[in-house]
Amino acid sequence: MRPPWHSTTFRVLTLGAIALLTAVIANRVAAPSRRLAWRSALVLSPSPANPPGVPEHPEQPIPQRSPSGPEPSPQGTKSAAPAPPAKPTPTPAPAQPAPTPAPITEISSQEAWQAFQAGLPFLDARRSGEYTEGHLPGAWNTPVWEADLDDQLLDFKAQRRPGAGDAIVIYCSGGDCRDSQLLAEKLLAQGYFHLLIYREGYPDWVARRHPVEKGGR
Amino acid sequence: MSRWLLHPRLTLLVRLILGVTFVLAALPKIGDPPSLAKAIWAYQLVPALALNPMALVLPWLELLCGLALLAGVWVRAAALWVGALLLAFSLALAVNLAQHRPIDCGCFGTAGPRTEAERLADMRRDLLRDLGLLLLVAQVLAATAPRKP
Repeated sequence: MRPPWHSTTFRVLTLGAIALLTAVIANRVAAPSRRLAWRSALVLSPSPANPPGVPEHPEQPIPQRSPSGPEPSPQGTKSAAPAPPAKPTPTPAPAQPAPTPAPITEISSQEAWQAFQAGLPFLDARRSGEYTEGHLPGAWNTPVWEADLDDQLLDFKAQRRPGAGDAIVIYCSGGDCRDSQLLAEKLLAQGYFHLLIYREGYPDWVARRHPVEKGGR
Repeated sequence: MSRWLLHPRLTLLVRLILGVTFVLAALPKIGDPPSLAKAIWAYQLVPALALNPMALVLPWLELLCGLALLAGVWVRAAALWVGALLLAFSLALAVNLAQHRPIDCGCFGTAGPRTEAERLADMRRDLLRDLGLLLLVAQVLAATAPRKP
């Protein structure tokens, strides 16, 4: 009888087992930006919930803060003016029902600039390497595909203390980038319901010569 | 099968091509599993729970099988894995091509920004390449088939 290690099935299974073992070890020793959680922390919808170019929700107004200008420091100040509550107000039924504000809304470049000037918190959903190369001033780095996403979000919440209805702007690299949407869906699942996606994202911000900041977290 | 198709020198050449291809494909992905997870997710064929484990293990499997093919160790087992992987990659590409969904192959790490038409063209090229590599796998499997007593 042949020893088991001569059998092809044994060898196929062994190759798979070694790959699994090396993956476990390599992921453990990898740098945080290159690490991947074995179980995704994202709410991964099977199909694009919001196909490109099709705004599916009525726009929600961007809350305007008193004209205090851009906020360079992420710490301190509480979030901007609270958003209108998501629950429909019990007013008598109007002739045309007011559209319920959608929890996740796309905003234009202009609106993103207004939101920035109003001092709303910005979350950068891109990879941490891209963030280091340049990001919106004061934006938090919350890379959706990296293993420390939850830690970064906790950090953001601890410092900024956003209320569930406070507006949060999320951006990634524009184009067909869906990382902002993924982050918005995660925050929605955590109870936040005024999420604004700056769809054109960082390339648009740079093209419009708005201020940027370089460096890591 | 004609004799030259199973010639040991041809098998050696095929092993080297497959081995180098898989090692080169594995290295960038080993260096950046989050990018691979994102690439696999774009295919929209893998359930969410399997996504990250797949992105973590797949590149190491490619590297191991590539090295085995290069070294001539456990060639048949490595070729079976490589064949299964290529078959899965080809199917995934074909399904997305059929749905006209332009995605990044993710085969050799991340690619730069491209238009949708460029992506679809690249997907067709990648599919053809994978089918060609499958033919090479078939040669290795035929050459290493256990002899009948």
